[in-house]
Amino acid sequence: MASRNTARKKLKLAPVLDLNEATALHERLLALKGGAVTIDASAVERVGALCVQVLMAAARSWEEDHLSFTFAEVSDAFIKTTQLIGVDVAPLMAKEI
Amino acid sequence: MDMNEIKEIFFQECEEQLAELESGLLKLNDGDRDPETVNAVFRAVHSIKGGAGAFGLDDLVSFAHVFETTLDCVRSNRLEPNQEVLKVMLRSADVLADLTNAARDGGSVDEARSRQLIKELEALANGEVPQAAAEPAPKAAPPAAAAPVPPVNEEGFQPVAFSFEEFETGEEPAIDLPTYEILFRPKSDLYAKGNDATLLLRDLSRLGEMSIHCDMDGLPALDRMNPEAAYFAWKISLKTDKVEEAIRSVFEFAEWDCELEVMLADDQAQAHEELPMQPVPFDLSMLDEEPRASVEEEDRTVAGERDIRELAGSAAEATSNVVQMTPSAARVPAESGRSAASAAAQSAASQQAASAATPTIRVDLDRVDRLINLVGELVINQAMLSQSVIENDTNGTSSINMGLEELQQLTREIQDSVMAIRAQPVKPVFQRMSRIVREIADMTGKSVRLVTEGENTEVDKTVIDKLAEPLTHMIRNAVDHGLETPEKRIAAGKNPEGTVRLTAKHRSGRIVIELADDGAGINREKVRQKAIDNDLIAADANLSDEEIDNLIFHAGFSTADKISDISGRGVGMDVVKRSIQALGGRINISSKPGQGSVFTMSLPLTLAVLDGMVVTVANQTLVVPLTAIVETLQPEASAIHSFGANQRLISIRNSFCPLVDVGRILNFRATQANPVDGVALLVESEGGGQRALMVDAIQGQRQVVIKSLEANYTHVPGIAAATILGDGRVALILDVDAIVAASRGQALKPEMSLAAAG
Amino acid sequence: MKKRVLTVDDSRTIRNMLLVTLNNAGFETIQAEDGVEGLEKLEDANPDVIVTDINMPRLDGFGFIEGVRRNDRYRAVPILVLTTESDAEKKNRARQAGATGWIVKPFDPTKLIDAIERVTA
Repeated sequence: MASRNTARKKLKLAPVLDLNEATALHERLLALKGGAVTIDASAVERVGALCVQVLMAAARSWEEDHLSFTFAEVSDAFIKTTQLIGVDVAPLMAKEI
Repeated sequence: MDMNEIKEIFFQECEEQLAELESGLLKLNDGDRDPETVNAVFRAVHSIKGGAGAFGLDDLVSFAHVFETTLDCVRSNRLEPNQEVLKVMLRSADVLADLTNAARDGGSVDEARSRQLIKELEALANGEVPQAAAEPAPKAAPPAAAAPVPPVNEEGFQPVAFSFEEFETGEEPAIDLPTYEILFRPKSDLYAKGNDATLLLRDLSRLGEMSIHCDMDGLPALDRMNPEAAYFAWKISLKTDKVEEAIRSVFEFAEWDCELEVMLADDQAQAHEELPMQPVPFDLSMLDEEPRASVEEEDRTVAGERDIRELAGSAAEATSNVVQMTPSAARVPAESGRSAASAAAQSAASQQAASAATPTIRVDLDRVDRLINLVGELVINQAMLSQSVIENDTNGTSSINMGLEELQQLTREIQDSVMAIRAQPVKPVFQRMSRIVREIADMTGKSVRLVTEGENTEVDKTVIDKLAEPLTHMIRNAVDHGLETPEKRIAAGKNPEGTVRLTAKHRSGRIVIELADDGAGINREKVRQKAIDNDLIAADANLSDEEIDNLIFHAGFSTADKISDISGRGVGMDVVKRSIQALGGRINISSKPGQGSVFTMSLPLTLAVLDGMVVTVANQTLVVPLTAIVETLQPEASAIHSFGANQRLISIRNSFCPLVDVGRILNFRATQANPVDGVALLVESEGGGQRALMVDAIQGQRQVVIKSLEANYTHVPGIAAATILGDGRVALILDVDAIVAASRGQALKPEMSLAAAG
Repeated sequence: MKKRVLTVDDSRTIRNMLLVTLNNAGFETIQAEDGVEGLEKLEDANPDVIVTDINMPRLDGFGFIEGVRRNDRYRAVPILVLTTESDAEKKNRARQAGATGWIVKPFDPTKLIDAIERVTA
């Protein structure tokens, strides 16, 4: 969940990012608009294309707002799946971690 | 559980489905047009076919397939299930049953008959009148239709036909492999149906060396997107030794839900320059965690059982199996932990699954019988204990007595519960009868409808098993002798179709089975004459209608002018009567000329125990089945009337009833007893008439455990069985009907007077 | 981690074959006898994939699939249809109802497990 104590909000992704999770993820990201966000994908076990779409749309949206949108702590499954479907998250990886 | 056990389950299920099929068809025959009835019938055949296919039972599959096709026509209202159609279908159900039995027990079926039915079924499906000479259509035998079977290897897989001969070695470095350009654009439906582009791309990546470009151009802004819509599309470059078909088969399930283009790349270099492609690493083990090895092991066990041709027949699928199998062999099962809580949930769910799979348990009949025997011993033991306590404790109010009463109650309940285990509905026997009716109707050219009622009435399994034979004979008799030909029926102003009604019900602790026909009824004049001719009765005997009707149960009695092929197989109604009696039952007939006959059988619910009245006759202890006794009375001298040499009557409420001296009939004593010194038991004999059985004294009523005399000693005329009483003595159980029969008109036959004193 | 498969079939024979095949392949199997029971057991089964027959009493496969797809929690679960006929019409109806894929009966273990793997992560 997004932490309200810090300026930089954190979003921890659910283990299963399937059809059902796409809508939930979409809503949570919309709620975080207007501030820098760090995505925690460390718990992710399964990633569907729909959730990747939502994440990529969010990344673009944040970029347009000139705000930081980074991934930290990504699980192996998350990295491999995004690689598999040709979505490069490397540029979005947080360098400081 | 192994495949043999599943096969056993399959055959058990077949029996249930066949019963379902038949009862459904009979309902349709009665005009039931409930779509669920048609569905149930269809499902039954469909289910048999499905299981038979899994076990490679080709004959069964082919026949079921044709049958199913015709039933599907009924289901979709393309074929009206009229009487003619149902006649074919009922016969087909019989053949399906024969084929099932043949598949289970070996042996053969009447092939001409099943071929003929296949033709008739196909004709019905094609909306034709059945033609005897019609050629079997290809669908008659699906396995045969798949005739040109390509060579298969040991695993049952076809070799993949490579179109690139120069690469057939497959060991060549990948540089020279062809490259396919694939365009994959999913629609939103793909995701809505539980599929995912990631899974399809994963499977695709296993085919070879893959580079991918994700086209995100269609992706709208976050606040304008529908999170469940498809926006991404992919361009894939795949270097593989597989054919295009293998690539397409990855998308088999997604065919309707995506745009897909697969083409051989002319210029690979160009494709790579056009778009920024990401190479996909081969190691994707994280994404699939299948314990693969065990699957292959199972495959070997089942492969032998299944129909190889099914595999070969669907060449495309077999091919796709091959292409998927090869890379998957390299997969490593990965382990990943789960919380203890979810593990517990899993085990709970598996327990639930197990209980759902076995809502009932199957028990060897032997075990139940052993239990019943033990409970029988318990009953005897309890009775003996009670007796010795009563004898030794004259106070009669001690707490031991109360405890004994409770013990008696409990024993009784245990006994009832154990008996209930063996109780089963008569349904299967009744269902078998409908086939008998059809066959005899066909043979005799009569039109018959069998109506069954009370199929769920339960009775001991032994009774059910032994019921089939006499019932079969009675049904044959009813159709062959009871019902008239359609012409005669029309002439008599009746429905040309005769009705045979089979009913079961519980009545006062017994099961009563009634078989009624609406035929001509018993020709009493003919029966009487025949009985006189056969010296069964005196020419001037004055018999009631009822007594005449019951003459047909006499040995060697047959009223049919000529012995027919059907019911005249040397088996008369006397045999039926004897089998019913052997079950502790009674049978009698009532008939109305022109309206038909009703056979009524009354049978005990169990063959293990009996409620009896314990009596004394010439110092012997006998048990009279309580069900036979109407009332007991103390004869007065004024009520006794003698006639003839040694016949006596007792007058009861202004009617006379023959007095039967049990002790004399059984040869327990040489002279007649004085009725005034004893007690009379008014019994109803199977002929319907009442008799007064004379015994010396009544000891009391009790439930006794039946011990077969035949099994332990030998058959004794006039005695049905034996039992062990509370005091440990053996007592004989009286066969009331035999005693009454022996007393009727003539004395006991010589063999009947054998010493029965046990 | 064992994958959980909910099998829905009215035939005891097929249910047992599925059970044996799936258990041997390392799946956890939860059984239901028709569509109604299948929907009732969804919650407890919490399946990763569902394998269902079409012809069943009470609620057939089409109705069952629609029911799953309407269920907020389980609508994303992939559903494989067991079908005797490989004809397009049945497949099409199953797809319209929301089936993910199909397995042609008589299934062999390899086909069954392959199909399950194709639709599960």
